[in-house]
Amino acid sequence: MENMLTIRVIADVWERHLMTMRTIEHLHMFSIALMLSIMIGVSVGVFIYMRPKTADPVLNFLNIVETIPDLALIVLLLPILKLGAGPTIAACVLYSILPVARNTYTGLKGVDEQYTYVAHAIGLSPREALFKVRIPMSLPLIAGGIRIALVFCMGVVTLGGLVAAGGLGTVLQNGIQLYQKDAILVAGIWTGLLAVILDGFAGIIEKKLHERYGTW
Amino acid sequence: MQTERLFERIDSIHLEGITKKYGHGFAVKDLDLEIQGGELLILIGPSGSGKTTALRMINRMIEQDAGTVTINGINTKDADPVRLRRNMGYVIQNIGLFPHMTIGENIGLVPKLEGWDKERIKERVRTLLEFVSLPPDMFMDRYPRQLSGGQQQRVGLARAMAMDPPLFLMDEPFGALDPILRKQLQKEFLKIKNEINRTIVFVTHDIEEALVLGDRIAIMNQGELVQVGPPEELIFNPANELVADIVDTQRKFKHMDTLKVKDLMSPFDEKYVLEGRTETCDAVDVMTERDLETAFVFEGERLIGQVTMVELMKCRTRSQKLSDVARPVKIFQPTDSVAFALSEMKSTGEYLAIVMNSNDPIGILISDEVLLKLI
Amino acid sequence: MVILETVLEATWEHIVLVYTTLLVSIAVSLPLAFAALYSKKIEFAVMKFANLVQAVPSFAVVAIMVPFLGIGFTPAVVAIMLRALLPIIKNTYIGLSNVDPALIDYAEGVGLSQWQIHRHIRLPNAYPAMFAGIKFAGILANSIAVLTAFIGSGGLGEIIFQGLIGYNTRTLLAGAIPAIMLAVLIDVSFTMLERKVTPGYVKE
Ligand SMILES: Nc1ncnc2c1ncn2[C@@H]1O[C@H](COP(=O)(O)OP(=O)(O)OP(=O)(O)O)[C@@H](O)[C@H]1O
Ligand SMILES: [Mg+2]
Repeated sequence: MENMLTIRVIADVWERHLMTMRTIEHLHMFSIALMLSIMIGVSVGVFIYMRPKTADPVLNFLNIVETIPDLALIVLLLPILKLGAGPTIAACVLYSILPVARNTYTGLKGVDEQYTYVAHAIGLSPREALFKVRIPMSLPLIAGGIRIALVFCMGVVTLGGLVAAGGLGTVLQNGIQLYQKDAILVAGIWTGLLAVILDGFAGIIEKKLHERYGTW
Repeated sequence: MQTERLFERIDSIHLEGITKKYGHGFAVKDLDLEIQGGELLILIGPSGSGKTTALRMINRMIEQDAGTVTINGINTKDADPVRLRRNMGYVIQNIGLFPHMTIGENIGLVPKLEGWDKERIKERVRTLLEFVSLPPDMFMDRYPRQLSGGQQQRVGLARAMAMDPPLFLMDEPFGALDPILRKQLQKEFLKIKNEINRTIVFVTHDIEEALVLGDRIAIMNQGELVQVGPPEELIFNPANELVADIVDTQRKFKHMDTLKVKDLMSPFDEKYVLEGRTETCDAVDVMTERDLETAFVFEGERLIGQVTMVELMKCRTRSQKLSDVARPVKIFQPTDSVAFALSEMKSTGEYLAIVMNSNDPIGILISDEVLLKLI
Repeated sequence: MVILETVLEATWEHIVLVYTTLLVSIAVSLPLAFAALYSKKIEFAVMKFANLVQAVPSFAVVAIMVPFLGIGFTPAVVAIMLRALLPIIKNTYIGLSNVDPALIDYAEGVGLSQWQIHRHIRLPNAYPAMFAGIKFAGILANSIAVLTAFIGSGGLGEIIFQGLIGYNTRTLLAGAIPAIMLAVLIDVSFTMLERKVTPGYVKE
C-alpha cells in the first residue's frame, strides 16, 4: 500500500486506462451539462420571477426531483434516452436546474424596487430593465447557484461511467471490477482533484462578483 | 435601438381633467394645469396632496383613470412610453443610481441603449460631469457607493441630462440632503437651469426652494389644484387660507428680535473640521467620506476659513494646502441676535456661518434652516 | 425476472444501510459541532475539510474506499458517512452558534452550568437547523447507498446493477422506484419531524 503511488505507477495507470481521453470525455460531458443547466436554470428562474404564481409549484417540483437518488434518475432516463452520454447529461441538468433557478429567482426578487422603478422612469423598456439592471444585480447569487450546479454535475457525470457514458467514472468502474487498487486510487484522486479545483475556481469568481456587484 | 425624438423643444404641456383613484380615495382629482415651454413650474403642497402622482402621469409611470396629457399637441397616450421617457429627464429624491455600474456607465446607459458609439458616450459623460462640477477623471470610474450624498445627487442630475431632453421631471431632488448641502445644490441648480433653459416640473416640500427656483408655483391640496401663479401673486393674492399659510413668509420674522443665535444654531461637529496643512486632493476624499459640502479649516485652535467641495475639486490639479485656498467665514457670538446675523449673512450672500464661544467653535448657523425653524 | 421477495429484501438492506450510516453520522457530528464551538481551529479544520469533501463526486469517494477497506457493508458506511457528515455538522454548528448572546448571559446569570446551558438553551435552539441538516444528509445517504451496491453493500442498487448487465428495463425499474419512494419517505418524515421541533412553526 505504502509505495503504491510512484510516478511510474501513475503513468502506467494513466496509459492503460486511457485517462487523457477519459478526462476529455469527462470534461466534455460536464461542460455541456453545465451550460445547459445554466441556460435552462436561469430561464426557469426568470420565468417564475415574471409569473410569480408559478414559483411555488415549480420550485416544489424541482425540490422533489432533487431527492431522487442520482443513479436511479439516470436509470429512469435510460429507456427514454438510451445508453451513452444522453441520460447522464439529462440527469445533471435535472438536478442543476433547482439551484440555478432558485438563486436566480431569489436574486431577481431581492433587487430593490427603486432600481427597477428608476430604470423604467429614465426610459428603459421592461426587457432592458431586466437585462441591464435586475439580472446584473442578481449575478452574485446566480453565480452561487451555478457553483452548486457545478458540484452536482461533476458528481453525476462521474456516475456516467456506470451506464456506458464514458468519462472518468469508466476508469473507476473498471478499477473496482478488476480490483486494481492503483487504478482506483489514481482515478479517484484525479476525479476528486478536478472537482475541487473547478469548485475553487468557481468560488473565486463568485467572490469577485460579490465584490463587484454585491455590496450596496 | 435608436428612438426618434418626440419633440425637440416644449411649446406647452396641457394636463386636462386628469384623475387618479386609489381605492375610494382620489390621489389626483380633475386636475387642469398648463405648463409653458421653458418655464420651471413648482408643484408644492402638503404630504399626500398628489404631487408625485401628478408628475408621474406626465411620463406615464402612472396611467391616469381619466383626462388627457398633451405635449406639443401630442396625446401621451398615443406615444410609446419608453420613447416618451427618453425625451424627459427624470430625477428623484433617492437618486437611484445603479450600484453595479460606474458613474460613467450610469450616465451613459440610455445613450448606449440608443446605440451611440463609445467615443461619443464618453465625450458626453465628460461634458455632463463637468457641467455638474464633478471632475470627470476623478469620478467617471467610481461606483456610486464611493460618492457622498451631494455628489450622487449631481450624478443623478447628469444622468437625467444625458439625452439632452427638452423636459425635466424632478421629484424632491434635494429632499434627502441636509440643509447646507441642499442650499448649495439649489444655488448650482439655479445656474444650470439658466444655462440649459429647459422646461422643468419640480416637486418640493420646501417653500424656500419653491420661491427661489420657481417661475410659477402650483399649490396642490388633497389631489386638487388650489392656485397657480408666479411667487408674487401667491404672496400678495393668496386664493385661500392654505395658500396664505404656505407662502406666509411674514410670520417667520416675528420673534426674530428676541431670539439669539444660540437658540437656532446647529451643534458643531468635529467632522466639519479640516487641518490647514491638508492637501486639497486629500481633503476632497475626506469630505466625500464625511458627506460634507462645506468644511471649516483650522490651524491648531485657530479658525482660518471655510472651503467647499466644488471649489476644492476645481483646483485639484495643483497640490495646494487648504490654508492657501480657504475663504473667510462669518463668525458670530452665541449671544448675537438672529436678526443681526441673518442680515449680515444676507448682505454678503453667505448661507453658512460659524458660531464661536471665545475660541471654541460651538455651532453652525444656516440661514435657511433658521428660517424654517422660525415657521 | 425479479421476484417481489428479492425487492423487499433489497429494500430492507437499503434501509438498514441508510439508517445505520445516518445514526453513526449524527453520533460523530454532534461532538464535532460542539467542539467547533469551543475552538476556532477545530471549527476551521472541520468546515474546510467538510466543504472540500462536498465537492468530490460520490463515486470517487465510494471507489477510494476499496483500496483501503475492501468491499462490503463497512466501506459503504464509511463512504456515505464522509458525505453525510457535512450537512449535519454545518447546520448543527450554525444552529448552536446563532443563539442570542443575551440569552446565554442571562442563563449564566441565573446560575445554569455550562452543561445545562448546552442542554436547555443551545441545543433546542439548534434543533430546526439540525433537523434540516439531518434530512438533507438522509436524502444524500439514500442516494449514495444505491451506488455503494457497486462495492458490495447490497441494497436496492444491487437490483439496478443486475438490470444494467442485461439492460433489462423492468429490473432497472424494480430497483429504481423503491429507491425513489424511500427518498420521498425520508423527505416527508423528516420534514414532519423538523416542524415538530421548530417552536412556533406555522403551516404556510
Ligand atoms: N400606489 C398607491 N396605492 C394607493 N394609494 C396611493 C398610491 N400612491 C399614492 N397613493 C395615495 O395617493 C395620495 C397622493 O400621493 P402622492 O404620492 O402623489 O402624494 P405627494 O403629494 O407626492 O406626497 P409626498 O409629499 O408625501 O411625496 C396619497 O394619499 C397616497 O396615499
Ligand atoms: Mg411625493
